[in-house]
Amino acid sequence: MDKLASLLHTSPATAWMVAKLVIVFGGVFSLAALWTWVERRGAAMIQDRIGPNRAALFGKIKIIGLAQPLADGIKFFFKEDLVPHDANKALFWLAPFLALVPALMGFAVIPFGRSFVSGGHEYHLALLDPGNGMGLLYPLAIGGMAVYGVLVAAWSSNNKWSILGGMRSSATMVSYEIGMSLAVVTIFMTAGGYDPSEVIKAQGHLPWAWNVVRQPLGFIVFFTCMFAETNRLPFDFAEGESEIVAGFNVEYGSMKFSLLALSEYCHLMTASALIATLYFGGWQVPFVQNPSVLLSVASFLVKMLFFAWVFVWIRWTLPRFRYDQLMHLGWKAMLPMSMVNLVFHAWRMSQGH
Amino acid sequence: MGVVVKKVELSWLDRTYVWPVMKGMGITLRHFFRQLFTPTAKRYTIQYPDMKKEMPEGYRGLHELKRFEDGAIKCVACFMCQEACPARCISIEAEEFSELNITQGFEEKRPAKFSIDMLRCIYCGMCEEACPKDAIWLRKDYEVAAYDRLAMQYGKWDLMNTYAKADGKENISGDPTPSVPRRTIAM
Ligand code: SF4
Ligand code: SF4
Repeated sequence: MDKLASLLHTSPATAWMVAKLVIVFGGVFSLAALWTWVERRGAAMIQDRIGPNRAALFGKIKIIGLAQPLADGIKFFFKEDLVPHDANKALFWLAPFLALVPALMGFAVIPFGRSFVSGGHEYHLALLDPGNGMGLLYPLAIGGMAVYGVLVAAWSSNNKWSILGGMRSSATMVSYEIGMSLAVVTIFMTAGGYDPSEVIKAQGHLPWAWNVVRQPLGFIVFFTCMFAETNRLPFDFAEGESEIVAGFNVEYGSMKFSLLALSEYCHLMTASALIATLYFGGWQVPFVQNPSVLLSVASFLVKMLFFAWVFVWIRWTLPRFRYDQLMHLGWKAMLPMSMVNLVFHAWRMSQGH
Repeated sequence: MGVVVKKVELSWLDRTYVWPVMKGMGITLRHFFRQLFTPTAKRYTIQYPDMKKEMPEGYRGLHELKRFEDGAIKCVACFMCQEACPARCISIEAEEFSELNITQGFEEKRPAKFSIDMLRCIYCGMCEEACPKDAIWLRKDYEVAAYDRLAMQYGKWDLMNTYAKADGKENISGDPTPSVPRRTIAM
C-alpha cells in the first residue's frame, strides 16, 4: 500500500481509499453488468431454453455468451439518444444518475472482508471505516432515495404510463419501508449497535448463531422487502409490459436506459450484500474462528452472489403481485410480523438472553 | 339457477405463502439443473444455423422433379399439376422428343421448360397429388430463399437437381437419349 501511495504521491490512507473505491465500485458495477447475463441465462435455463450464448469476441471466441453484456453496452452506446419533446430536459438527464448513484452508494458501509493490520496501520475492507456514526442506517436511508430515480425518470418524461409506473413504485415504498426498518431495528437491538462490524461480530462464525436462525421472522420480512426495494419481481410495479407499456422508463433509450437498467442490478447487488451482512454473518466463514483476509472476502462474495442468484431465481418462479396486494402484505402481514419479532426479542433480552 | 362454486381450501401451510414459494422454487431449480446438465444437442431448442431439424415424413418442402435411372425426366408434361395448382405458379412447355413412341415403350412428351415460381408457391402439395406419373414430389428441404426474385424461379434443371446432393446423385443438365423402354404396352 505504501508503494501505491508513493506512486500516487499521497498518503497511504488516501491511496487505500482510492484503491477501495476502484475495487468496490468497479466490482459492483461489473458484477451488475455480468448479472444481466446471468439473469437472462438463468431465466432461459429455468424455462428450458438456452438463452444468450452466441455473442462472441471478435466473432470467434464464444465463451458461453459471456460477451453479451459487452455487446449490449456497445449497442446501447451507439443508439440514438432521444429526449421527448415535452420532457423536462434537465430532470430527464438527471434521473438515470439519481437511480444509479444511490444503488451504488449503499454499498459504501458494507464490510466485504476482515479488517487487517499491516505496517502499524489498520485497514478496513469497507469504503467507510467502522465507527463513522452512520452504520447500517446509511444504506437504508440511501435505499429510500432510490425511489427518486424512478419517480423523477417517470415524471420528467411526461408520459402517462411512466408517471403511473413511478407513482406505483413510490406508493409501494411507503408500505414496505416500515416493516423492513423494524426488522433491521431488531438486529441493531440484539447486536447492541448499528455499525456493520458490530452486527457481524455479534453473529460470530457459527452458522446457528447467525441472525437468520435467531430471527427467522425478521429475515423473511427483510428479504421480502428487499424485493420491493430493488423494484424486482414479484414486486416490480414501476414496470409492467401488460399494463403501462414499459413503466417508468418508456421514454428512455440508449445509454440512459442502460444506466436505469444497470442501476436495478447494482441495487440488487447492494441488497444481497445487505442480506448477507445482516442475516448471514457478513464475511464470517462458517466454523473458522479467525479466517484469513482472502478467505473472508471469498466467503462474503459467495454469500452475496448466492443471494443475487436467489433474486434471479425468484424472479422466474413467482408471478407478479398487484400493487394493492403488496400494500396489503406490507401493512397487514409484514408490519405485524416484524413488530412481533421486535417485541419477542426485546422480551428475550429483558430475560437476560 | 345458481351454481355453487367450491373454493379450494388451502391448508394453513399453503396460506403462509412461504412454503408454496419454496415448493415453486424447487420446481424451477430442478428445471434449471436439468437444462444445465443436458448437452446442447439434446435440449429442446434447435440452434438453427448450426443444427437443423429433421423434418417428419410427408413434410411438404421444396419440390423435386423425379428422374429415371438413366436420368430421363419422369414428367410427361400432362399439365395436370399446372391445372391443380391453386397458386398458379407452375408453367410448363411441352415438347415431343424422339421418333421413339408409345408403341415402343416410350412416352412421347416431356417438358421442354418446367418452372415453378417459388415466391408464389404455397407448398400445398396439390401438384404432387395430381401427378399421374409420380413425377413431382414435395420433400424435406425448407430453406427456400434467395437474394433476388429471379433466383426464386426454379426451372426444369433446378427442380431436377434440388435433392441430387442429398440423395447422392449427380447433377444433370441435359436430357439423356432414351435407350431403355420405360414400360411395355400391349397394343
Ligand atoms: S405445392 Fe401447391 S402451390 Fe406449390 S406448385 Fe404445387 S400445387 Fe402449386
Ligand atoms: S409433373 Fe406430373 S402432373 Fe405435372 S406435367 Fe409432369 S407428369 Fe403431369
